[in-house]
Amino acid sequence: MNSPLDNKRYAGPSLRAERVTKSFVTGRVRTSVLHEVSLELHAGELTLISGPSGCGKSTLLAILSGLQKVDSGEVFALGDKLDDLGQRELERFRLAHTGFVFQGFNLFPALTALEQVELPLHYLGLPSREVRERALRSLDEVGVAHRASLRPTELSGGEKQRVAVARAMAKEPELLFADEPTSALDAANGQMVIDLLHRIARTHGTTVLCVSHDPRLLGHADRVLAMEDGRILSDQRHTPELAPGRSNQEISSL
Amino acid sequence: MVPLARKTLIYEWRRFLPAILAVGFAGLLQVLQAALVLGIFSSASVYITGSTADIWVGYPGTQSVDQGRSLDPNVEMHMRMDPHVTQVEPFIWLDGDWRGDRTTGGVSVYVSGIDPRPEGLMFARVLDKDMRARLEEPDAVVVDRADLEKLGVGVGKQAAINGHTVRIVGVSSGLRALGGVNVVTSLETARRLNPDPQDAGRPTYLVAKLDANADTKSVAARLRHATGFGPYDVWAARDFARRTVLYWMLDTGAGAGVLFLAGIVFLVGAVITSQTLVAAVAGSVREYATLNALGVGLPALRRVVLEQAFWVGALGLFGASFVGALLMAIARSRDVPVYLSIPVTLICALLVMALAAVSGLAAMRSLRRADPATLLR
Ligand SMILES: Nc1ncnc2c1ncn2[C@@H]1O[C@H](COP(=O)(O)OP(=O)(O)O)[C@@H](O)[C@H]1O
Ligand SMILES: [Mg+2]
Repeated sequence: MNSPLDNKRYAGPSLRAERVTKSFVTGRVRTSVLHEVSLELHAGELTLISGPSGCGKSTLLAILSGLQKVDSGEVFALGDKLDDLGQRELERFRLAHTGFVFQGFNLFPALTALEQVELPLHYLGLPSREVRERALRSLDEVGVAHRASLRPTELSGGEKQRVAVARAMAKEPELLFADEPTSALDAANGQMVIDLLHRIARTHGTTVLCVSHDPRLLGHADRVLAMEDGRILSDQRHTPELAPGRSNQEISSL
Repeated sequence: MVPLARKTLIYEWRRFLPAILAVGFAGLLQVLQAALVLGIFSSASVYITGSTADIWVGYPGTQSVDQGRSLDPNVEMHMRMDPHVTQVEPFIWLDGDWRGDRTTGGVSVYVSGIDPRPEGLMFARVLDKDMRARLEEPDAVVVDRADLEKLGVGVGKQAAINGHTVRIVGVSSGLRALGGVNVVTSLETARRLNPDPQDAGRPTYLVAKLDANADTKSVAARLRHATGFGPYDVWAARDFARRTVLYWMLDTGAGAGVLFLAGIVFLVGAVITSQTLVAAVAGSVREYATLNALGVGLPALRRVVLEQAFWVGALGLFGASFVGALLMAIARSRDVPVYLSIPVTLICALLVMALAAVSGLAAMRSLRRADPATLLR
């Protein structure tokens, strides 16, 4: 398990962007999506980037997670400069350090919940027994251990997204990225997933970056960056309203 | 390891079924056309396969059994001296011009002069003792039942070969030739039918039987290098038969035809199979992209696709073997000439797996669309 202390050896923010710009060319039109965005994210926090559709949130997340290259500026993740890494090195970096949760659940139809979580763990080179233990622990942590042997078609939307979260966190990554993780879910399930991500940040010291246009999530993050037209307009910290007395069981029963 | 490739194949079998069927049909077509062509062309070597000789001695460089030239008869003595050789006999093969008693015109025939004694090696698998005995009679000939009509005669009737009168004393089956008609007679009669006085009495081949524990190849090699006789060479019967069939397949263009058809079957099979696999990959592209986002490298994902291609190939092969064996049995029971050797069967199986592999490689390319950045919108 990574404690917040582990990340201290990177001396500073676990994720840092310096004057990042990005534009896309479609046909003869060049659209600027990010305008010199700078930010610093810290371990143990759930940071929410919020803003209207099309303002560049997903692009920023793709750049911070090493899935896309910057046009100019620099990105440092856990002290590594991502732009210096080749494709294989980026894959290796992602394997070791990052987890992803997407809007679509992207689960293999043929695999059970347990196998979905086990699959990426095998590629970490862990022995089979540890893979099984970790996967079961993750499923338990997100509250779907009782669904471990079911396939995606037998799971509800909320359960599928929780399996996806379990798959992302079973690797015990320092960085966890979530792009609109709640927009395919109803309000109750959405709230449960964001609280889950928040709890992961707290208990594992993970740097969690969540990107969403959903205003209902605002109250559930440690820090909210408001974004508009490729720029970060405000940066607010607050204590989220996760009821302190709420237990795992209550959450998973939602 | 979670067996992603196999689990997906089983769970989404409907998606993979067209590929399995394409591979299966391609394999079936390959193997059946090979069996048919081999079945038809193996009749070119009926002299060898219809006999029980282990070793054939002929003119050096003879490419096909119907192209022999006369030998120095003294080679026979040399062969008899080898301790493993138990029996040697001459075989005369010559072209003939057949005139039936009706108006069939001239028919080109292949005359086989054999030792008609009961223990004779030549055509021992085709002619029974009784038929051999009838050949002892001067100017007696035997033909295949199916050739009677072509020759314009019936059993007991007379005809002429190279201007020499012969009498049909019986018919047999399994004597059909490729590109002509086989006429079997005794060595004595064959010598008289030979229009070339230079060759008269000289054998076209010498065939030998070895004792049970002799190694055919090494005996052939040992007998090969003796000086003091005219030119000759020694082959194992099986090798000579294979060479003859191959010669005919290449000479008639049938070999090229087989290869051409095999190429087309391969191409069509590969197109269907790769398209099916591409569609299967496309159906899971978001899941593959998610794995890639989590750091599972493209090579590992490619292996999943290749493994699926392998299973598709294996299942197709299994189905093709089963149906193929059934069809071969039916063909045999209906006297359709089909024949498969183990190497040819293996080559067909290999082709099927190569087809699956090529399709897998083609499908792998569509993994490039599994770019995790596309999951972020
Ligand atoms: N690969 C791309 N090619 C062209 N334009 C793109 C591409 N990705 C994103 N964009 C454009 O960039 C803008 C920001 O997109 P995105 O980051 O997905 O916004 P958000 O996630 O905030 O809704 C949009 O106008 C979108 O059309
Ligand atoms: Mg988006």
